[in-house]
Amino acid sequence: MDYTQPRRLEERIARELGVALFLLGVALIQTALLPRPLGFAPNILLMLVLSQALIAGTANAARWAFYGGISLDLCAGTLLGSHSLLLLVAVLMGTLPFVRLRRDNWLLPLGSAVLGSVAYYTLFPIVMRVPDFLSNQELIQTHLLVVVLPGVLMILIPALPLFMFMRWIESRRRGEVPVDIY
Amino acid sequence: MRDTVRNRSIKLSRPSPYRSLTVIVGLIVVAISLMWLDQGDHLDPVRHQAQMIVNPMLGGLRYVGTSISDGFWGIGNIGELQETIKEQEEYISYLETELIKSEQFEERIKQLEQQLGIVEGTGMQVAGASVIAYTPDAGRQILRLDAGKDDGVKPGMAVISEQGGSPRTLIGVVESVTPRDSTVLLITDYSSSISASVEHEGTRFYGAVQGQWQRGSRLQLEQIERNAHVVSGNRVVTAALTAEYDPDLPHASIPSGIAIGEIEEVRVDGRSRVAEIRPYLDPNQVRYAWIILSHDD
Repeated sequence: MDYTQPRRLEERIARELGVALFLLGVALIQTALLPRPLGFAPNILLMLVLSQALIAGTANAARWAFYGGISLDLCAGTLLGSHSLLLLVAVLMGTLPFVRLRRDNWLLPLGSAVLGSVAYYTLFPIVMRVPDFLSNQELIQTHLLVVVLPGVLMILIPALPLFMFMRWIESRRRGEVPVDIY
Repeated sequence: MRDTVRNRSIKLSRPSPYRSLTVIVGLIVVAISLMWLDQGDHLDPVRHQAQMIVNPMLGGLRYVGTSISDGFWGIGNIGELQETIKEQEEYISYLETELIKSEQFEERIKQLEQQLGIVEGTGMQVAGASVIAYTPDAGRQILRLDAGKDDGVKPGMAVISEQGGSPRTLIGVVESVTPRDSTVLLITDYSSSISASVEHEGTRFYGAVQGQWQRGSRLQLEQIERNAHVVSGNRVVTAALTAEYDPDLPHASIPSGIAIGEIEEVRVDGRSRVAEIRPYLDPNQVRYAWIILSHDD
């Protein structure tokens, strides 16, 4: 499926730059603009990357995860590469079990959102080096309840509409015409 | 479900599972290498250059976000506002521009007045800073301020703020700095621990304020003596014990007597007492803060 492959190097660089700038914009919005009800920020980059993985493939989404993660690190002041690592693991865990499923299966985005976000939030304290995390059983339990569970729910709720919207955009980009219109 | 005129079902695009895996593993290796390099401060020049571009954008977006949230609070008066707008429709566009300018000046004056109050009232030297970004994840409680090494900010310095009628309250401690900005670990984060004291009927008791956000709460005062008589409503302030024990440690620059919160509930935990604290302000809602550069303690 090389229909989107640019023919020239300059085109390819321009496209990558465009994707990186778009993801920097999303990271800026996530860190500076989004409301934070009860201290929870909606992780829109994680949602986007997981949906992109299902629509455009894991390799494509991995690039999104890398650029998006670097952007988040720049915006949040965290170690460069830490959010990239988390998003890449989320892409891997969120897509690997579903590679054989068809794209029109509605369970796909939901399953991917659950597995991807669980991987992201579970690995988060280890990558961010939260002190004593692995040795403190009670902290692990509360982290699962207070951080992982709400985080997964916040990804899961918009997963299906976002996936359908992104799939619609992808279909339009490919020039496919929906049957129910014609 | 078929979604094209060609009536072909679309499958997940899979160029090659091996290629995808190679790309993802390769990028994971790059990400880990970047973390390792950044940990050793080898990427500082690149990071600083990039943040010089990103920080003004973050500041601008924060301003937009603040204006939007302020706008929502004003919705209750929309009827009155609409009448006024109808009467002065032509005049309003000019006024709006002027109003934005004067609001910015007003806010700045207020911030400087507050800063002056801190300097005069406590003898502290402070640097005012706007919040440019909050943590993008729920797992860690940090924020970034637009003041850094160039303003005299160092890791370990206390960050205070006030909102509405709250006292000047400790919201966090500077964790890392770049020339133009700093990252603050909020006191509500689990990895934050600060010495604190509580005064009850003339007796002072000491303990450690531990962040509890990742544990589903906000702040907890731990390691209080079991026979300490502390009750709900007692004020918790910083104790500056680190400065007494080892002045070379980063936390030694936190002065004593800065408000943290009020005790909500006390319980016995083994040989000591533990108290839940209600902070005077929510660090996640802070828009402007002061970093304490030096103090008389």
